[in-house]
Amino acid sequence: MDGVHDLGGKQGFGPVDRHGEDEAYHSEADARAYALCVSMRGERSYPIDWFRHVRENIDPVDYLTRPYFDQWLQTAMAMAIDAGDLSMVEVATGKAEGLARIPAPMMPEDVRAMLTIPATFERAGAEPPIFAVGARVRTASHGHPGHTRLPAYARSATGEVIAYRGAHLMPDDGARGIDRAEPLYTVAFARGDLFPEAAGSPDKVHLDLWESYLAPA
Amino acid sequence: MKPSYDSDKVADIHRHLHSHLPPEPALRVKALESLLVEKGLVDPAALDAWIDAYTEEIGPKRGAAVVARSWVDAEFRARLLADAGAAVAEMGFAGQASGHLKAVENTDTVHNLVVCTLCSCYPFAILGMAPAWYKANEYRARAVRDPRGVLAEFGVNPAPDVAVTVWDSTAELRYMVVPQRPSGTDGMDEAALAALVTRNAMIGTDDLKGGV
Repeated sequence: MDGVHDLGGKQGFGPVDRHGEDEAYHSEADARAYALCVSMRGERSYPIDWFRHVRENIDPVDYLTRPYFDQWLQTAMAMAIDAGDLSMVEVATGKAEGLARIPAPMMPEDVRAMLTIPATFERAGAEPPIFAVGARVRTASHGHPGHTRLPAYARSATGEVIAYRGAHLMPDDGARGIDRAEPLYTVAFARGDLFPEAAGSPDKVHLDLWESYLAPA
Repeated sequence: MKPSYDSDKVADIHRHLHSHLPPEPALRVKALESLLVEKGLVDPAALDAWIDAYTEEIGPKRGAAVVARSWVDAEFRARLLADAGAAVAEMGFAGQASGHLKAVENTDTVHNLVVCTLCSCYPFAILGMAPAWYKANEYRARAVRDPRGVLAEFGVNPAPDVAVTVWDSTAELRYMVVPQRPSGTDGMDEAALAALVTRNAMIGTDDLKGGV
């Protein structure tokens, strides 16, 4: 999706504002927005990339200007309305019309489990990798029209495979409700091959890319 | 019920939410919290559990302990660089986003910097909540294109022949930087060393050389 979320390499942005960098939460509202979002049905009851894609579909002006966890909360609301767990009328009036038809809300013991047991996105039994470490690869000229994790700045770019990471769930598919794994690689690009003003620089950009984003260079 | 997986439908829902919700973030959160509790979609005790975990228990002190151990224990360092998820689990730090954790070491010739340009992926279990700047448009836009400009704003100035390596963590792998041990710390024990390790050093925006 060619959205404003795809920020890498976009120009015109000013200095990084470090205000409040040592606070875990930036405000009480920030903390509660985060907690509401992660408590809604559990992060693991839907594909993570559906969450990401729903956030990408926030109005572009809101995406660039509203606080980060405020956007997460709006995303969780949009997902709940989309799935029929909440109605727009209830949001507009602030009054619940009956209980949601979910088994039970997340409880503190469920939170504890999520905080201590890492999720895995690697799947066994997928196709073996096509590219060897050291292979030169060229990225696709465009990502998937829906959700994709090939950033725009790295389209049609040539780099070198530096690691194979196993078969990981394919995000473009996950955002469409399809559970399918594909070989994932870390690809190194010369910064100068991505951005003309960096020509000759020793700097690198490393990206984790799925096999179908890549072709032999 | 199940998601529709329909981009246009959720974009339309967002536009309606924009018009129905109070614009002020604090009022918006308050209105939604009472609705979601009344609706039975969230339990207040779970909200407190999430907030408390990242206020009191989980934060960059974990990552600092990992880095300090890697400075004093060569075998641990080798395990950390080979399989960071398992190495941090040894220390009791397994958790959110640590399943596919990678540790990348700074050397005399490489300085690492971590970003997520597409959202704001971050190794929560090891570093806690991300600082606001990490999630901000400016950092996400500039870190891949102008990493040396960003680093200079943080007081970090790698030599021209040092390769700045930016890890754009847009898959489920999460990265933590292992900074170089500062000079003059030879006699220090692990706990004292951990106190020197900043959160920013583990993202790559500090080199522990007293910048800023």
